[in-house]
Amino acid sequence: MRKVSIDPITRLEGHGKIEIFLNDDGDVANAYLQIPELRGFEKFCEGRPVEELPRIVTRICGV
Amino acid sequence: MAKLKLGLYWAASCGGCDVAVLDINEKILDVAQLADIVFWPIAMDFKYHHVRAMEDGAIDVCLFNGAIRSSEQEDIARLLRAKSKTMVAFGSCACFGGIPALANFASRDEVMRRAYIEAPSNDNSGATLPQVRTTVPEGELELPELYDTVLTLAQVVDVEYFVPGCPPPVDLILKVVDALATNSLPPPGAVIASEKTLCDECERKKENKKISRIYRPHEIIPDPERCLLEQGIICCGPATRGGCGALCIKANMPCRGCFGPPPGVADQGAKLVAAVASIYQARDGEDIARMVSEMVDPAGTFYRFGLANSMLRRKRL
Amino acid sequence: MALLKNTLAQLGVEEDRVRLEWVSASEGERFASIVNEMTEKVRELGPFSRDDGGENG
Repeated sequence: MRKVSIDPITRLEGHGKIEIFLNDDGDVANAYLQIPELRGFEKFCEGRPVEELPRIVTRICGV
Repeated sequence: MAKLKLGLYWAASCGGCDVAVLDINEKILDVAQLADIVFWPIAMDFKYHHVRAMEDGAIDVCLFNGAIRSSEQEDIARLLRAKSKTMVAFGSCACFGGIPALANFASRDEVMRRAYIEAPSNDNSGATLPQVRTTVPEGELELPELYDTVLTLAQVVDVEYFVPGCPPPVDLILKVVDALATNSLPPPGAVIASEKTLCDECERKKENKKISRIYRPHEIIPDPERCLLEQGIICCGPATRGGCGALCIKANMPCRGCFGPPPGVADQGAKLVAAVASIYQARDGEDIARMVSEMVDPAGTFYRFGLANSMLRRKRL
Repeated sequence: MALLKNTLAQLGVEEDRVRLEWVSASEGERFASIVNEMTEKVRELGPFSRDDGGENG
């Protein structure tokens, strides 16, 4: 199947790519949105002093 | 002078550095006069294939923010290095690892398990984890490989300039824009900020630096005129490069080191251990033990923004 | 030292890998025995490898 990739997706915050599979008629058979990033806040906030978290989790998104 | 070709990219980033560039407000028009932006995912629709099609060195300056912790981020860093005359590590993440580098206290597997399986709000009884390669009925899907270790930009490619800050303050960004416009950048390898520590810039009264107790920032209301360290609040100023205008200090909050180590200091955290220990005034071994236990999360505080850039780089796996 | 050891512990560095002693130039034997002790301890702990389990890039 023909694949059309939109990589990266733009004009938003974050990373993503879209893979579109076209069938023989040129119609969309399926499309997939993938997020190719993970920073791990869920893990590395553990063990940090709670009063520091406001200054850490605000770095999840700077927008 | 022909317009510069400017590229901006974000790796393991929050978008704050890109927003900071936009925070120069109307001066963005000056940037538009000075440069054609040829790649900037947050604001423009250029794709990776556009960059791949460029000639090497076609981009004059690339402002690269975000740390590197995946194969895609490394690939794009190398791609942009090839296509750019000048690479700038923009923001604390690209310079030192930043907040994402706190993941260096864990392994990739621990991070993924926590995020996708263990986190309390998840509903993932099948324990599904993202895979590098996934086969779907229509074909194959690929994801980049996540690394165990978060790296700085300079640990992956050659970098000409470093602009620290989380994010770099607007007037620092304007300094960089101005230097580009007037072709007056310092020699390569420079960190574009102050050559002194934050303490030099901080306007608080500094008297007798000896403390007998460490207070967590919420435990007391600090006197806004006196040095925070002298009041027992851990402030990373002594081992942090200045140039930020001491914004956090002015908000009565201690510095957490986002401008990285000052000139001449190889490991910011080690310097902070020395700085904090040197102001302890303890009566005996028991007292020392008490004070040390009052220093909560030393590694996470002293390496808050710079774990990737430290000598050890990460917690041993 | 206590603060340093706590910091290093968070980074996975065992406490026996760091030691502070004050030895004067005239204490030759003491110096030798301290170094031997330390060498043995570190040998028991094995190589310190930060690449243990998956360095990358």
